[in-house]
Amino acid sequence: MGTLMASTEASVEATSKPIEHRFSPYDFNGGTVAAVAGPDYVVVAADTRLSSGYEIKSRHVTKLHALTNQCILASAGCKTDVDQLRSVLDIRGKMYQHNHRKPMQTPSVAQMLSVTLYGKRFFPYYAFNVLAGMDAAGVGAVYSYDAIGSFERTGYSAAGSGQAYVIPFLDNVIGNRNRLEEKPVLAAQEVVELLKDAFLSAGERDIYTGDQVEIMVVTKDGIQTQTFALKAD
Amino acid sequence: MLPAAVPSRQHTVQPMVTGTSVLGIVYDKGVLLAADTLLSYGSMAKAQNIPRLHVVENTVIGASGEYSDFQRILEILKAKALEETTTSVMDSLYTEESGMTAENTWNYLRMLLYSRRSKFNPFWNELLVAGKDLKGKPFLGSVDKIGTTVRDNFIATGFGAYLAMPLLREKWRPDLTEGEARALLEDCMKILFFRDCRASPRIQLAKCAYDEVLVSEPYELDTAAAWQAEAYRQSVGELEDDGGW
Repeated sequence: MGTLMASTEASVEATSKPIEHRFSPYDFNGGTVAAVAGPDYVVVAADTRLSSGYEIKSRHVTKLHALTNQCILASAGCKTDVDQLRSVLDIRGKMYQHNHRKPMQTPSVAQMLSVTLYGKRFFPYYAFNVLAGMDAAGVGAVYSYDAIGSFERTGYSAAGSGQAYVIPFLDNVIGNRNRLEEKPVLAAQEVVELLKDAFLSAGERDIYTGDQVEIMVVTKDGIQTQTFALKAD
Repeated sequence: MLPAAVPSRQHTVQPMVTGTSVLGIVYDKGVLLAADTLLSYGSMAKAQNIPRLHVVENTVIGASGEYSDFQRILEILKAKALEETTTSVMDSLYTEESGMTAENTWNYLRMLLYSRRSKFNPFWNELLVAGKDLKGKPFLGSVDKIGTTVRDNFIATGFGAYLAMPLLREKWRPDLTEGEARALLEDCMKILFFRDCRASPRIQLAKCAYDEVLVSEPYELDTAAAWQAEAYRQSVGELEDDGGW
């Protein structure tokens, strides 16, 4: 008898709670980005699918943005925030160029991105960034970020919905983890082929990754772009 | 005891008077938009002959979502157009030579909607913008209530994203003629009328081509033949021997 009474009371409570409507300023638009640094190049790749819930809004939207001709920002997350972040960085980069009479170097861009993100610490840009560029010594640089600006220079990185499929693969093939042979020095084109494999795998299992991969190779001479088709399902 | 003061600024929590889908398609010579002319108040069909496609200078804008927010957006755009033509000491940006194109208007609307969402008081709309891009090519783009922008050859807002987009993706070609584009849009609008509870068969088209921007008068889709389909006249369950329902 006692337990029956308790369960009735519990169900009455559950139905009388108020329902709250709340507007969410964010949307998760999906997608995966990845970058690998080399001795005199950096390769950055991103898929081109824009999703919202179970809907595909577009199959050919870029996640890569060249801030200078030596530095590319790859971002996944909420596209409207990513677009705003790009505009803000472009404006700050332009001001720097006017004031210093030279484009920003990659390590400076990396710091600027961090402070820009932290500036909205209490209403963050929902952007998961990977910055890829040539550093001051002409060596490839990759920086990974969280949404509020914590960053670190790494040899390779991935972000977005397919991050969990790509990073372990890169750990093995680029980081040489759990391998007995010596770590090889890879050429840019070899890295491009490896990233294609990484995105093929991510596309198999992640519903938000697919359609096409945009791959950019940055060297001291500038940026070269190529595309690679993925499944559209 | 004085009653508690009502705050004068309130944030949008839900839309009240709404329009449903807007469709857009780029064809060989320009862009075509379609929308029905129904405003819904929840499940009530509040007004049945209200245009949701409007011309501002050389651009057509269609809106789904909260209609009052769309009216405010149009006020803002018209005020901006007037300001440009009456106060600038240089040639107006709205003259034919330099021209604020549909692509500029799309970017401006994006900024407007993003700044409102960042104050947690969004314009509760999904807008379609049609006209020309900065290079003079046909332009079709959308902006949603948080400022997400998409530019494509065919776009559908609201329910159209689920019901019409598969048809548009299947049938679109870059060399569609105006007649084919119009037939495709009308087909999609019929499907929407049949399956979207908040849609009506009274529709309006808008066209941006050859430097002209036109909006049609509302007209009724011919849906009479479809109601004669076998499925609407006798349910399949009745045909089975077991009398299932």
